Amino acid sequence: MDIFSNLALGFGVAFSPINLGLCLIGALVGTLVGVLPGIGTIATVAMLLPITFGLPPVGALIMLAGIYYGAQYGGSTTSILVNIPGEAGSVVTTLDGFQMAKQGRAGPALAIAAIGSFFAGCVATVLIALLGAPLTKLALLFGPAEYFSLMVLGLIFAVVLAKGSVLKAIAMIVFGVLLSMVGSDIETGASRMSFNIPELADGLGFATVAMGIFGFAEIIRNLDHGAAMDRELVQQKISGLMPTKQDLKDSAPAIARGTILGSILGILPGGGAVIASFAAYTFEKKISKTPERFGRGAIEGVAAPESANNAAAQTSFIPLLTLGIPPNAVMALMVGAMTIHGIVPGPQVMQKQPDLVWGMIASMWIGNLMLLIINLPMVGIWVRLLRVPYRLLFPSIVVFCAIGIYSVNNAPMDVVLAGAFGLVGYWLVKHDFEPAPLLLGMVLGPLMEENLRRALLISRGDWSVFVTRPLSASLMAIAAFLLVLALLPALRKKRDEVFVESES
Amino acid sequence: MSDAPGRAANKPAPKLIKGSQDFYGGLALMAVALFALWASSDLQGMRGFSFGPGTAPRMFGVLLLVLGAGVALTGFLFEGAPMQRYGIRGPLFVTLAILSFSVTIRPLGLIVSAFMSFIIAAFGTEETQWKETIIVGIALTIGCALLFPYALGLPLELFPRFLR
Repeated sequence: MDIFSNLALGFGVAFSPINLGLCLIGALVGTLVGVLPGIGTIATVAMLLPITFGLPPVGALIMLAGIYYGAQYGGSTTSILVNIPGEAGSVVTTLDGFQMAKQGRAGPALAIAAIGSFFAGCVATVLIALLGAPLTKLALLFGPAEYFSLMVLGLIFAVVLAKGSVLKAIAMIVFGVLLSMVGSDIETGASRMSFNIPELADGLGFATVAMGIFGFAEIIRNLDHGAAMDRELVQQKISGLMPTKQDLKDSAPAIARGTILGSILGILPGGGAVIASFAAYTFEKKISKTPERFGRGAIEGVAAPESANNAAAQTSFIPLLTLGIPPNAVMALMVGAMTIHGIVPGPQVMQKQPDLVWGMIASMWIGNLMLLIINLPMVGIWVRLLRVPYRLLFPSIVVFCAIGIYSVNNAPMDVVLAGAFGLVGYWLVKHDFEPAPLLLGMVLGPLMEENLRRALLISRGDWSVFVTRPLSASLMAIAAFLLVLALLPALRKKRDEVFVESES
Repeated sequence: MSDAPGRAANKPAPKLIKGSQDFYGGLALMAVALFALWASSDLQGMRGFSFGPGTAPRMFGVLLLVLGAGVALTGFLFEGAPMQRYGIRGPLFVTLAILSFSVTIRPLGLIVSAFMSFIIAAFGTEETQWKETIIVGIALTIGCALLFPYALGLPLELFPRFLR
């Protein structure tokens, strides 16, 4: 079997002492930063991106994968212990996790979250190995028109699954695509929208924008609430990490269901972790015999979303590795990291650099295992970190981010740009625009433009190429269907609100 | 938590702009789109079947203009969230700290630059207690001076240019 030889190759790469160490450091540092209040997964990955620059590509990606999982787990820890979700994906974990912590059962909650994540990670790793190769073959059937349609579909998925207004999310994507066009034109080399500023001639750095919009903007926004954010840190001592037999029995089916749901939703472009955890929680509550326990410390309410979250996080690597299309903002950051190392993700990477791809897949599993081993005994340390007051934390983050951005190109201008994007990000948040689609648009922008141009060149300027080629047409049809589906209830809801207003 | 006690409903007087958050947000996006269209206006457009460098920016610029108009219109017609208050102190000092870092990193080196921007950023909240802030600032500067150039091997100058 191919799968086994591939996985064996991957584990061979990942188990080298250096890579194992990098994965460990990544997971540790990721948790360390992810646990800090007010720093989400995307911000964590963006902030830590520069520390991987000095490494060889395989090592850098393995470390980044470790950082990603660490950050996610850190997010769950803050959700359970402080009722502050580190990222959108762990919002639902707060519902029951924090209640459990209040009842003095933070230990079991954290343990179940880790165990559920690990189980989900195991399943998802096998799934990636199974689906990777066939999907790569599928990718070879794709021409420029199909790629363009697929990206449109992915972006529509991202829009549909994002919370809030569909219109605003699309606007953010287009904004991101526009930003990606700053710099040299891919075909003619003409300088576009760069105003003769030499630092802009190469385009806006991806890390710069991400750090500004997610790092700096987050800090500025948090300062609005006053540095002493109301943190209801659980004061009870965390006694007894291990869940009881009853806990395990209750959560086992929930973990299995969460894993399945998460794996499926993660593969969908634009799906990802957020929707998976919400869906898993709702599903558990629906089928539970005692739905009234949810929201009051039901362990299933922690187990299901955490497993789903992690399964989705992992399977979302599938579209990235096989098709080269990042399905969400974190994967977009991964693409950014790969490009910095001179790797263009996609089917070619799978064939030309199998050690890189499979090494990364294997390291995901190892990363999960490490989280289980590191985090449970170290919960005490993470809790102490949560007590660091924000008034000391935020200047440190500012300095750390600034050094990080500067070190990408040794360019002071990049730091200024990141600061400017910090203000843009703050503005976006104030107007309830989601920054994640913007980032996705920015990464997909060049790919989309290139494929659009190529498709139209091949079809001699005929736009119907996107609907006459069967594969492309079906992708476009799905995208259109989804968009209509998403717009309909939104319209209805808007109208309902108006009706309610006028009645009262 | 504290800054949005009266969302929507509790203002009975009819307003011209019903959701000012969306309305002004949309307008600003339109401004961005117009700016992009202006900035790419000197680029060449279509050449036969093939895109020129200016085609795609113009396409997406127009698209953003339309979407921005849509968002603004939604805010104009439908009841929505009001404008949120902007903080001044936080954004100002964080931005100043970033600017200070970018200006000083080349001539003054990492140690001076990092410590300076730490202190400037700390002005961003009135809750800063200076004694602990300065201690943490020094510790962080030392940490960064060890982490970035040595542990991570990034080429950063530590000391001011006139001392080198």
